[in-house]
Amino acid sequence: MKNEILETKDGLFTVTVTVNGGKTTLSVRNSESLLDALRRHGWKGTKKGCDTGDCGSCTVILNGRPVLGCLTPAVTAHNGEITTIEGLGSVHEPHPLQEAFVEAGAVQCGFCIPGMILSSKHLLDNNPKPTEAEIRRALDGNLCRCTGYVKQVEAVKNAAAKMARGRKK
Amino acid sequence: MPEFIAKPASLKELWKQLPSLPSSRRYLAGGTDLVTADNAGADHSGCWIDIGDLPELRAVKETASSLFIGSAVKISELERSAPVRKWCPVLSAAIPHFASPSLRNMATLGGNAANASPCADGVCALVAEDASVLLALKDARRRLPLKDLFTGPKRTALKRDELILGFEVPKRPHAGAYFKLGPRARFGISKAAVALAAEISGGRVKRAAVALGSVAPVPLYAARTSAWLAGRELSPETAAEAAELIKSEVSPITDARSEAAYRREMCGVLLSRALESAAA
Repeated sequence: MKNEILETKDGLFTVTVTVNGGKTTLSVRNSESLLDALRRHGWKGTKKGCDTGDCGSCTVILNGRPVLGCLTPAVTAHNGEITTIEGLGSVHEPHPLQEAFVEAGAVQCGFCIPGMILSSKHLLDNNPKPTEAEIRRALDGNLCRCTGYVKQVEAVKNAAAKMARGRKK
Repeated sequence: MPEFIAKPASLKELWKQLPSLPSSRRYLAGGTDLVTADNAGADHSGCWIDIGDLPELRAVKETASSLFIGSAVKISELERSAPVRKWCPVLSAAIPHFASPSLRNMATLGGNAANASPCADGVCALVAEDASVLLALKDARRRLPLKDLFTGPKRTALKRDELILGFEVPKRPHAGAYFKLGPRARFGISKAAVALAAEISGGRVKRAAVALGSVAPVPLYAARTSAWLAGRELSPETAAEAAELIKSEVSPITDARSEAAYRREMCGVLLSRALESAAA
């Protein structure tokens, strides 16, 4: 939100955001979190877990950095660029990370996975060959109650290797 | 969340808007404390003023004698800042212990200080760095030693509407360490934390500053232990004596996160580890 005053209409603000590459306007309540606003507008891949900033399920990439949707007032994302899990790949053309998570058996109940994949994507975008310690640090804020994190760390490693091979081709 | 969120584009605009905003107003920086409090029903502000993008608060600037860190610079930006790594080794050591990567993309040192929790990792490190805090209320500016900003748990010397502009750390080469004990290795609130800044020459401490988190009503500057350390040889005996001394300087309580006696004991352990790492 830069040099702009948002107008309220029936208690709703219209914020302009770019979600997964498409510019759009969202009608949001001033009291609404970005997480709730995204879900209400159909981006339900962003999961609502703890609502206290502890679990990482609601991680989205806002202006190039993973943030927590539950602690971001939606109006403060005005003019922002957002990537949600829907922006990564599709069923027919999954992102290498999505493929690697499935192949490694890193997905059990799946609730933490959108956040985990977005945190991993940010890691690989900035550090294409992370060490295991770097992967674990990047996933510090994404809690999983099903697995022991082993498979997910493996999945990120595999995705990194696969993406490196893709770049060489 | 309040019905009203204001977002001034500059400090000048902020001071202009201020009188027209609802009286129960608070500054919103990264939101990681304030929005959490609000979600838990503990914040009843009628208005938040989003200062997170104010350009005046978003810079890290070096002068001849000090480093200025804007209050709204994200913790993750500090993580990548070369001057911060160079001049604030305690803060740099504390950052990996500061919440999680996504929260570090949101949280700020200004919010960490204004929230005034005794467990604030960033603030505790900055106190050891001998930081001053720069405050502004319209045209009135003042500066305080950061340790004097805190008057109690979640209480500060900030006046109504007074804004934290940033922090100033003197440019003095020193070693730094931050040792924190939480429920997990990472991403947890501390049971006890020790921040140590030390100027060391020839195996001797020239000057030391020790600050502690979660073991007093405020992020605690340990004045007696810091003074005692000056001039001492860096040895296991010194570490052992300092560890005893620090235990008499803290006043931990028993709460949901830990027990008073354990916390007190751990202050000694963490300080001797910090001194050991500074000697290495």
